Amino acid sequence: MSTARPPANSALVELKGVSVVFGGKVRALDDVTLTIAQGDIVGLVGESGSGKTTLCRAIVGLTLASSGEVRLNGKSVAGQLTTNPLAFRRQVQMLLQDAVASLSPRMTIGRALHEPIAIHSLPREEASSRLQAILKRLGLQADVLVKFPHQISGGQARRVGVARALVMQPQVIIADEPTAGLDVSVQGELLNLLLDLQQEFGLTYLLVSHNLNVIRRVTARTAVMYLGQIVEEAPTRELFDKPAHPYSAALLSTNPAIDPAHRTRRIVLKGEIPSVVNPPSGCRFHTRCPVAQARCSSDSPPLTDISPERKVRCHFPFTLDPARRPPSADEDH
Amino acid sequence: MSQANLATTTALVRIRGLKLEASTQRGTAHILRGVDLDIGRGRILGVVGESGSGKSSLASCLLRLLPSNITHLGGQRRVRRHDLLKLDDTTIAGWRGKRIAMIFQDPMTALNPLFTVATHLVDVLHRRHPGISRQDALGRARAALVSVGIADADLRLAAYPHQLSGGMRQRVMIAMALLVEPDLLVADEPTTALDATVEAQIVDLFEGLRSKFSGSIVFISHHLGLVAQLCDDLCVMYGGTVVETGPVAEVLSKPQHPYTQALLACEIDSDAQGGRLVSIPGEVQDPVAPHMACVFAPRCAQADARCRATVPALQACGAQRTVACVRYGELG
Amino acid sequence: MNLLANVFTTLRKVCGTLTGAVGLVIVLLVLGCAIFAPWVATHNPDALDVMSRFSRPTAAHWLGTDHLGRDLFSRMVHGASIAMQIAIASIAIALTLGTSLGILAAYLPARSERFVLIVFDVISSFPSLVLALAVVAVFGPSSTIVVFIVAVTLVPHFGRVARSQTLTLKSAPFLESERILGASWGRIVFHHVLPNILGPLVILASMDIPVVITIEAGLSFLGLGVRPPLASWGTLIQDGYTYISDTWVPVVVSSVALAVATLGFTLFGEALRDAVDPRIGREH
Repeated sequence: MSTARPPANSALVELKGVSVVFGGKVRALDDVTLTIAQGDIVGLVGESGSGKTTLCRAIVGLTLASSGEVRLNGKSVAGQLTTNPLAFRRQVQMLLQDAVASLSPRMTIGRALHEPIAIHSLPREEASSRLQAILKRLGLQADVLVKFPHQISGGQARRVGVARALVMQPQVIIADEPTAGLDVSVQGELLNLLLDLQQEFGLTYLLVSHNLNVIRRVTARTAVMYLGQIVEEAPTRELFDKPAHPYSAALLSTNPAIDPAHRTRRIVLKGEIPSVVNPPSGCRFHTRCPVAQARCSSDSPPLTDISPERKVRCHFPFTLDPARRPPSADEDH
Repeated sequence: MSQANLATTTALVRIRGLKLEASTQRGTAHILRGVDLDIGRGRILGVVGESGSGKSSLASCLLRLLPSNITHLGGQRRVRRHDLLKLDDTTIAGWRGKRIAMIFQDPMTALNPLFTVATHLVDVLHRRHPGISRQDALGRARAALVSVGIADADLRLAAYPHQLSGGMRQRVMIAMALLVEPDLLVADEPTTALDATVEAQIVDLFEGLRSKFSGSIVFISHHLGLVAQLCDDLCVMYGGTVVETGPVAEVLSKPQHPYTQALLACEIDSDAQGGRLVSIPGEVQDPVAPHMACVFAPRCAQADARCRATVPALQACGAQRTVACVRYGELG
Repeated sequence: MNLLANVFTTLRKVCGTLTGAVGLVIVLLVLGCAIFAPWVATHNPDALDVMSRFSRPTAAHWLGTDHLGRDLFSRMVHGASIAMQIAIASIAIALTLGTSLGILAAYLPARSERFVLIVFDVISSFPSLVLALAVVAVFGPSSTIVVFIVAVTLVPHFGRVARSQTLTLKSAPFLESERILGASWGRIVFHHVLPNILGPLVILASMDIPVVITIEAGLSFLGLGVRPPLASWGTLIQDGYTYISDTWVPVVVSSVALAVATLGFTLFGEALRDAVDPRIGREH
């Protein structure tokens, strides 16, 4: 390993009060604070307009924060991009949602895999042998190297993307919908691979997925986003068992289990997701919240700690008042 | 719609030996390799399958079927597809929009961006009830929008598709489909493109349809949990064939076909923490490959010589259940 | 290797349609005459033979002679050469310049981009004929002038297409992917943008060839282009027209040559575009 790794559990990625405003009007991210520690696997869930894609782009430096600070390894991302962009890029990588479209259409896979080596002028011998080892580890055969992106499957393209990222020995990998487009019967293989790689290479992951089963099984901590804000952050197990924010509760209930015994009652929210250009006043969720009170429309709740490991952005989170828990399967039977 | 009727009522649609082939540069692609399926009256049938299963092609084929007819192998050349159904275009066109309606995955491309919602709905009504007056039609259109949960119906009637959100457009599509008063409603992944909370609203809507809609619904999806919750019957497809059918709760709790079993094992069982995630090794057979044996055999842990030599027929395996596996009965 | 295979498959597709095949044949014919003019032509195109002026087609002079006794067939063949030289030169210049400006415009900040677009608009709205007259008035007519005028007129054409293609590409995932990997702007433009936009531009260029041939012929006809005694089709038509009362053969022959060449390149260009378009290919 050429880059020195910080000790486990030290903050690797930090966002402090980050806002991203497009064109002066669209607040894609609003006052987001999040810390990802070394070795973490953090999940990020949210629907359209939640800002999860913008959050990823802010960490990776594709989008600059309009206010607040994004730090990697204690140093500001914006600063690193100006002083030493290549070194910064080697630390954090991102797997885009459409794996096939992430590859240059007129470049063979072989050339695509050598891109990072060429861009960063990595020592040829060492990097090439590392690449070979990675390809073998990922199960990519030699015959894939001469093919073009449109000739390979989604799963193969995903692994090519992983290989390209790994050859630079990054510390953080952001995976945007890693299982999108993959059939259920092959998702497991990819996820096992990602988990194994995390162990072998000491990686830190930020996993964005709309597939709640994947989040629940793979991540240790999860943040729920709504309209540009983080509304809840908790250890994954606790979040899924006892969501504190009404939106989290509704979102998590949309995922019906196959086994009727495990099914919770679906909480159906009223109305549509508001536009990010004109978010509701006060708590952004109050227009659809099944338990909103008068205070919610005027007072915007801050992200507060409700336990050492959990944060919620709500005036009346569920865990504070057991009587207001959303109905679950246990209570129905 | 009661359970008792099912055993005695004849199926609304009976499909036998449905084959769909297309000519490609590499040879004939077998998209559907002899599908046998019954769609019960007043039932919601879920059709699940992964890529290459042919479930979406089945949906398109359904729009060319006459109810309660057995399809046979015929020849019909359409551009480059060899469609083996003996139907002439005018007859089937007469069925569409009157007896069969379809809801698509992407409502934006299914709605004409040049016309308002009102025009869409009124058009559907004119086709179904040719003599209807414009005023009557608008009244019915408004009622239809309300019945699918659109609050300000008058406002939405005057809107154009691009002014509506995804969930709203899908509701409009469902309203259009219901106005047809069809015997058969085919929904091809209607919620896949929607956000989770919006999907929940549409699924809620479908559940409400159980009591309001007297026809049959075919709900195509890759989402097993959704199908488990919504549908009465289940049809599992793989590689262009039907591998298993039956009442949804039974098929999912006691799957008989190795593919169904493997698929269920792959569904990330949220409760179990740690441990390896399961997947099915290999990939779906190339559609160009000829159909001489069980399509799933190359990936099946329990395949034996017979599986690789003969095409398994769909056989009965319990009340209202069928399975296409030569080894049915031998496996645990 | 792959490029060559691609070229062959595309050519095969072009031959698949009747118009494409006809176009390809004509294009090859014209190119053949252009490249091998000294060998295809029976005589020296400038050789005067005043005794045989206005001759009808004979065994010695396949298409007869013009007012100065020069062999018409040879002049026509050399005309192809001139047409091709000018077409290729001007299009090559316009393509390089236009593409560079177009890509630049796509990446520049809004104000600079607008400036480039205004330059494009000014050039396009300027009638090429007036430009030609102005330039010729200063520098006198010549083939170089024609190349210059045509190149300038075509720059906005390629520039706009290059810009819009680049803009579409800017939001493509693979470009973002390269940025995340750390690729510099230069690398992205040369290794990723250019190869992906060149295709449509080349097709556009091939469809511009007939246009350029016609412009060149027009300018030469008006005396603003190729200087006599060079045998441009335009000058041939001009000469033939002047002496039409003596013999109608020259004017007809050179007009037909121009028309056939233009038609051939147009048919070929369209067939090429159709062959390359992935959507049309699938409908067969």
